[in-house]
Amino acid sequence: MFIRLESSSAVPIYRQIVDQIGYQIANGTLQAGDRLPSVRELARRLPVNQNTVLKAYILLEGDGLISRRQGDGTFVADAPPATKKTERLKQVAGILGQAAAQAVHFEISRPELHQLLDEEIEKLTNGGRSP
Amino acid sequence: MSNFTADIRIEGLRKSFGGQDVLRDVNLEVPAGSIFGFLGLNGAGKTTLIRILLGLLQPDAGRCAVAGIDPQVQPIEVRRRIGYMAENQTMYSWMRVKELIEWVARFYPAWDATSAEDLRKQMRLDPDQKVGALSKGQTSRLALLLALAHRPKLVILDDPTLALDPIARRDLLRDVIGHLQNQGITVFFSSHLLYEIEPICDRVAILHDGRILRCAPVDELREKVKRLVFQSSDRIDVAKLAGLLDIQSYDSQLAVTVEDVAATRRALGPILPVREVDLNLDEIFEAYVIGRREAPHA
Repeated sequence: MFIRLESSSAVPIYRQIVDQIGYQIANGTLQAGDRLPSVRELARRLPVNQNTVLKAYILLEGDGLISRRQGDGTFVADAPPATKKTERLKQVAGILGQAAAQAVHFEISRPELHQLLDEEIEKLTNGGRSP
Repeated sequence: MSNFTADIRIEGLRKSFGGQDVLRDVNLEVPAGSIFGFLGLNGAGKTTLIRILLGLLQPDAGRCAVAGIDPQVQPIEVRRRIGYMAENQTMYSWMRVKELIEWVARFYPAWDATSAEDLRKQMRLDPDQKVGALSKGQTSRLALLLALAHRPKLVILDDPTLALDPIARRDLLRDVIGHLQNQGITVFFSSHLLYEIEPICDRVAILHDGRILRCAPVDELREKVKRLVFQSSDRIDVAKLAGLLDIQSYDSQLAVTVEDVAATRRALGPILPVREVDLNLDEIFEAYVIGRREAPHA
């Protein structure tokens, strides 16, 4: 499992861990039943405080994305598709939230913003990113 | 004060040199088992405080307890019980690694030779290498080994990464998590780099100009300290903002950094900021240490 922490980011570290593991589960890099590193192991590897990793794992467990089995380890949960869908929506909502904040800040109207989004999707579906 | 067991307890500590106040009324508690980040610019008084904790300096006023011992009364006992590592520790460069380990062992009745040997292997140090020929990263690992092999329950690290390159620095932080936090050892980690200690610490205290400006869990600092941007036309009365850390004014906007964003928003009532900005820890540190607290001239 690959996690890259951004030390200068304003996003708290436990959040970065939650987001990146959630993202990898949502896009299928991590599959149901995959074992995650133990709290100690991941803490040492990153390196971050063990309590930070524990906090991230507890949040992921609360979202139904992983399950922690006492004495056995931590695994990607056999998440119902709904959970995965929710997780995917959450990931995209996060990015759109930033875009929306920028748009408001630059005084871009809603229709303009919607059109920009449509154009971006259009680029992806009509044969690649190049114009 | 609070009810957790503290491994370091400091009350009303003062110290001045030649009429210059270096520490003015420092109060601090370091909970047992925590990794405690002690943050300040170079010259803020960090090393002076650590030297008092080690019983190497007498304070002018106040008292402290380190691992339950008063370092002013029993300085040698304190140094025997705790582990200590400094950035520029003098080591006998002509000794071999194993000779230095054996030499230091004699000062500690509780030295654990097996544990020292385990650490030496884990830290990949060649016993026959001359200390003077070690890289900076290897030297810092050796210093950490020497601070740990008498199995202390509290370790003080005084800016241990100061001279290290990024890779050796990361290795050292990894060792702090892997060897110290794993065993429940309390770590008092001083540094001038907030972004460096943030990931590994439970709590941070910011020392500036001889005072502790804030002591809080890392996540709490991030959740509470924010920058709020207002339109200048809102005519915010900055003099009335509690916990104000910094004010900056741009063309038509006013940006204030506050200690507790929820409290500030409550106090402002109906006046809403244009934006609330999350800050990274270096920005938070900067706001505390060099923030401007006075209203800019119109």
